[in-house]
Amino acid sequence: MLTVALQQGINGIVFGSLYVLVALGLTLIYGVLVQINFAHADIVTIGAFAAYFFTFVFGGNYLASIGIALMVGAALGWLVNAAIFAPLRERGSELLPLIATIGVSILLQNAMLLWFGPIPYAFDSPYSNKVIRLWGGMFITWQNLIIIVVSALTIALLYAFMKFTMMGKALRAVAQDRETAGLMGINPNQLIMLTFVIASALAGMGGAMLGPILVLTPFAGTSVIVKAFAIVIIGGFGNVEGTIIAGLAVGLIESFATQLVNPGLTDIVVFTLLLLMLAVRPTGLIAEEREENV
Amino acid sequence: MSSDAHLLASPSGKRRWWLLIAVVVVAILPLVFQDSYWRANLIVCAINVMLAMGLDFILGYAGQLNLGHSAFYGIGAYASTLLIIKLGVPFWIAFGAGMALSGAAGMALSLFAVRLRGHYLAIASLGFAVIVHQVLLNWISLTQGPLGIYAIKPPPDIALPGLPVISFSNPANMFYLVAGFAFLFYVLLDQLVRSPIGETLAAIREDEVSAASFGINCTAWKVFAFGMGSALAGAAGAFYASFVGTLVPDAFTITESFTLLGMVIVGGMGTLMGPVWGAILLTVLPELLRGFGDLRLVVYGAALTLVVLFLPGGIVQAVRIARARLGFLPVATDAGARQ
Repeated sequence: MLTVALQQGINGIVFGSLYVLVALGLTLIYGVLVQINFAHADIVTIGAFAAYFFTFVFGGNYLASIGIALMVGAALGWLVNAAIFAPLRERGSELLPLIATIGVSILLQNAMLLWFGPIPYAFDSPYSNKVIRLWGGMFITWQNLIIIVVSALTIALLYAFMKFTMMGKALRAVAQDRETAGLMGINPNQLIMLTFVIASALAGMGGAMLGPILVLTPFAGTSVIVKAFAIVIIGGFGNVEGTIIAGLAVGLIESFATQLVNPGLTDIVVFTLLLLMLAVRPTGLIAEEREENV
Repeated sequence: MSSDAHLLASPSGKRRWWLLIAVVVVAILPLVFQDSYWRANLIVCAINVMLAMGLDFILGYAGQLNLGHSAFYGIGAYASTLLIIKLGVPFWIAFGAGMALSGAAGMALSLFAVRLRGHYLAIASLGFAVIVHQVLLNWISLTQGPLGIYAIKPPPDIALPGLPVISFSNPANMFYLVAGFAFLFYVLLDQLVRSPIGETLAAIREDEVSAASFGINCTAWKVFAFGMGSALAGAAGAFYASFVGTLVPDAFTITESFTLLGMVIVGGMGTLMGPVWGAILLTVLPELLRGFGDLRLVVYGAALTLVVLFLPGGIVQAVRIARARLGFLPVATDAGARQ
């Protein structure tokens, strides 16, 4: 019984750490810009397809394909910011960029559907079948180990970047108060661009690692992104630590709900949790002071 | 129809003529399109108009970004159908109940999310839509899950004395029914937004804190607007079920919410005519592009993005610009009257 629980725990952490990667991107963008990027989902999907084509069409190494997906994601992030968010920033609308990125998302999903077709791709990572046996009949596949290690390293790197580097500090300064940061000689536009590139790079590499454990279709990212939204809200919009905790928690909850209740009900559990969170504590697990302009 | 008489008595002469033209166009359409494929599309158009109008009342007039409109559509469809099938309730009572239940669900979500604004409401309503879809999918004993409900009957025949029986299995009659209701809702919303209620909603949308300082109960009005909009979605759902005859949960995914949002934005958010044109255009255009297969949805996404970037007022704004360029005097459109 305990081993079953621990095994589910491992699965939960695998999915949880990928959710964290995707949700961190959303929360970074929200922190700096107070905007939601719906096309984030499709950057995940495109990252997965980039890794797939690199590995199976060009015969590349799977681990290298994660790097490729990261770069593809970064490029897309730059593009989304330059094409959508930068031009709309002057209008100062809260909702227009969100709606525009829904349009971008529909566009990208159906363009992928056109090129890649609706049939799921079999993304067999060479590491999916190699198993490390642990005690008590528990096991972990190399693929899952790679996911946990790469995600943990990436998250640690990002955390260190935000806390200790000059650029990370500048980024947080822009998030706190864009105008004052501008007065201190920080170029907010460059940092917003940087945020998009980092956020989307995370989404791209998240996609490369999700590809082998999800059903890879042009719509794969959508199922992940709605959970990422829930995670971002549960953790507190714009809050990195809260997002990490909430992401792992959602991964674990999902994993145990699948085991204990019914796989079909996992989404209901996660989103009921989201609505409860919004009712009880809309600021998220870790509240961040944000001044409201009245 | 009694609503016509009321309209003709309204003070604005120009609007009266436009509405009369609309009635004539609706009356002629099924005669122009004789084949069943295009007649079915006409009905889908009328249903989408109803949905888009309801969504725009929540989004454009009350300023609440609702990404869960598909949920209210689904609640209306399933509630009315299940009442008819499981409890043998007559269609029109089930129709009213579906509308009421959708409206109540909308009010509940709005009341629940009353502290939330903008993005938080968007995500909360998205979450609500996911939950409703999953419940429809998983509550198999009630909804039959992904297998769906089949052989749903059209609305009952109307037999008026001295006239031939009106059967709604005839698509032309079904179109008149749905379009008639869409027209009725349009007139209702038109009266509403021109009344002080419309101004109250505009005040809340533009600046909630200032509105509250004038003694406006913002919560009550936002809940009211959400309830109205989702009740319209419920009506559309009941018509959808009785027209298509089958119900599957996948008709009510969040993609449907996004599609409806696209109609409102492309048509022109915050106007009454906008969602009507947006719904018609974005229902008919994909059908015309059907030969291009999946390309049509690429066009859909591109249209939504480009409109937000370059023409945030949608078709209504485009028409206004075109009128100004052609040297017509600015005509009092819905948006014009509001500002």
